[in-house]
Amino acid sequence: MRINSKLVKSAIAAVVVSYSSIASAELNIFACEPEYAALAKELAPSARIYSATTAMQDPHQVQARPSLIAKMRQADIAVCAGADLEIGWLPMLQMKSSNAKVRSTDQGLFYAAEQVETIDQLKSVDRSMGDVHAKGNPHLHFSPERMLQVAQGLTSKLIAIDPDSKASYESALKSFSHKWSAAIPVWEKKAEPLKGKKVIAYHSSFKYLFTWVGIEQVADLEPKPGLPPSSSHLASLLTRTEAGDVMAIIVASYQDERGANWLGERANLPVQVLPMSVGGNDQSQDLFSLYDSVLDLLLDVSTR
Amino acid sequence: MTVLNQRISCVAAACALFSTSAFADNPTLTNPAISAVLDGYYQNTERPMAERGEGFGLGHTELAMSANIDDMFYGKLTAVIEMHDGETELGLEEAFIQTLAMPGGFSIRAGRFLSDVGYLNNQHVHTDAFSDRPAAYRAFLGSHYFDDGVRVNYVAPTDLYWTMGLESFKGDNMRAAGGESDEHFEEHDDHAERDYKNIGIYTAYTKIGGDIGHGSWQAGLSYMRNENGRMVEGEHEDHAALEAGHDDHSHSATFTGENTYIADFVYKWAPNGNYKYQHLTVSGEYFKVTDFAPLEDGHDTDVHSADSVDDMQGWYLSGVYQLSPNWSTGVRYGETDVQELHGDHFDPQKLKETEVSLAWHHSHFSTVRLQYTNQQGTNYFGIEDDNVLTLQYVMTLGAHGAHQF
Repeated sequence: MRINSKLVKSAIAAVVVSYSSIASAELNIFACEPEYAALAKELAPSARIYSATTAMQDPHQVQARPSLIAKMRQADIAVCAGADLEIGWLPMLQMKSSNAKVRSTDQGLFYAAEQVETIDQLKSVDRSMGDVHAKGNPHLHFSPERMLQVAQGLTSKLIAIDPDSKASYESALKSFSHKWSAAIPVWEKKAEPLKGKKVIAYHSSFKYLFTWVGIEQVADLEPKPGLPPSSSHLASLLTRTEAGDVMAIIVASYQDERGANWLGERANLPVQVLPMSVGGNDQSQDLFSLYDSVLDLLLDVSTR
Repeated sequence: MTVLNQRISCVAAACALFSTSAFADNPTLTNPAISAVLDGYYQNTERPMAERGEGFGLGHTELAMSANIDDMFYGKLTAVIEMHDGETELGLEEAFIQTLAMPGGFSIRAGRFLSDVGYLNNQHVHTDAFSDRPAAYRAFLGSHYFDDGVRVNYVAPTDLYWTMGLESFKGDNMRAAGGESDEHFEEHDDHAERDYKNIGIYTAYTKIGGDIGHGSWQAGLSYMRNENGRMVEGEHEDHAALEAGHDDHSHSATFTGENTYIADFVYKWAPNGNYKYQHLTVSGEYFKVTDFAPLEDGHDTDVHSADSVDDMQGWYLSGVYQLSPNWSTGVRYGETDVQELHGDHFDPQKLKETEVSLAWHHSHFSTVRLQYTNQQGTNYFGIEDDNVLTLQYVMTLGAHGAHQF
């Protein structure tokens, strides 16, 4: 009996030791959107990173599906846009996955929107306004300055969770910040011809991008945030295009092109699909190539 | 005393620090999520064992409030207001707390809550694609089984989703009829009153799930032990309960047995995994209820032996497709075979339902549904009309919580 209990104890100890050593060797990062999976890859290259959504999926509408619960159960850090973008599914994942580590922002939960000032914050929100976010526009990954702040915040979070690897996180941040800061003026120079152009777009998905490069979104394909384009609304947009100042109709990779195509055909305007995130088209393999691709596509459509 | 005071002030100071750092941007602190569900309908006739009656009526009108209580507990309260025969009934469907920060993938839920057996049972009725639960649910679980009890749940740290849990409930709504009001029993003193067990229900369930391409699946097995599920001899209560199913409105299960086994699966698919525009949900469940026949205890032994009666069972298969953000349609077929005790023998009953629904959604929060059901009942189901038409709206307002898979 004595031997048995000793054996059991040592077996348990062995399991615990091997489990904890695996855990510390590889940080598990759960990213709600692919842009944050890409950022995590820049800042923690050795981590096991899982993205809950792809650039082809609307992050507003995600099923709290079993595979996501299983991934969140194992996560050390969850990196999400925040500002209520994931309100329809993240709380259910947290509840179902029973993982205390990623339950609150005190611990492993990280919201990008909390690191920066979001645009379009609302004092009061009513459902008659559509599916709006009181905490501002959460699609902030097309603001290069804000992404730099998010990278700093995420690095602090990584260090807090995994202090042993502090030095490597700091050097990864330094390297990313250097590359990113160098890329910003290049992008801005490239985007100069886009300044002052007017577009009709779907949702406020590219609001940060447009604000950054100086494009004006004069109308939205959605009659109200979250509502699909209706025929009466599209007809009113057709009237708007008669002014002749609209450059193109912009749709994100996870949005339905039918309304945009209907309008494009009648108004004789080009319809351009932009990758919403990394993986949204073949060119967008990381955050740098995502920005390159989006600017190339916009420049291309402006000369059409 | 002073020590105690000091401790309290320390706690208060810690709380003050916490409230600025931890909860400052948590809207649930000052603002618990409060939501309401409005459900109204018109129906030309009735479905057996269903909650909706004939004519105009209100379905599950819900008022829910939920919030994180602190960093350890989450709490939710759901009150259901139902109108019946001109009377307003207030019911409590959920009033539970759940742990949020237990280690090792464990969590505990206590209070009144929906049991996690099967697939549909833990889903709120207003998220259903059809106006009533499948007949198997109405027969064996009283449409949806919620009760006072406790649950322990565990989620394994594996890439394949794997969860398992144990529950225990009071089980009052799952009791087989006692026959107190039955004259037949008054002649036998030993049977005049049935001695029910206080903890009536024990359940065990496990679910696994994952992704295949752009689709996701989940499959589950559940077992329910009902200590008070066995009928006693000569009772006629079941039949009465059945006829009164819409009158007493008790949410009680109409047919019970000591052992219930449930197998369930669900598969969801969307183009590119993007649920915004189109998606498909296919689900099915199978119920088997055994050990419901009265035990032979010395007399009437030869009349009905438990072995001679078939087990009760029920199943359904449903497919729902969202054609666009504004329209969805569904089909469902189900069969339920039950055994009703009439004095000294069992009468088998069968109910088949074929259902089609079409729903219009102006937004995520508003649904108007038209549903047609063809119901075929044999023996005592007392169906007046084989064709049921339901026109229903379900709308949610307020901060409505996230939905389950």
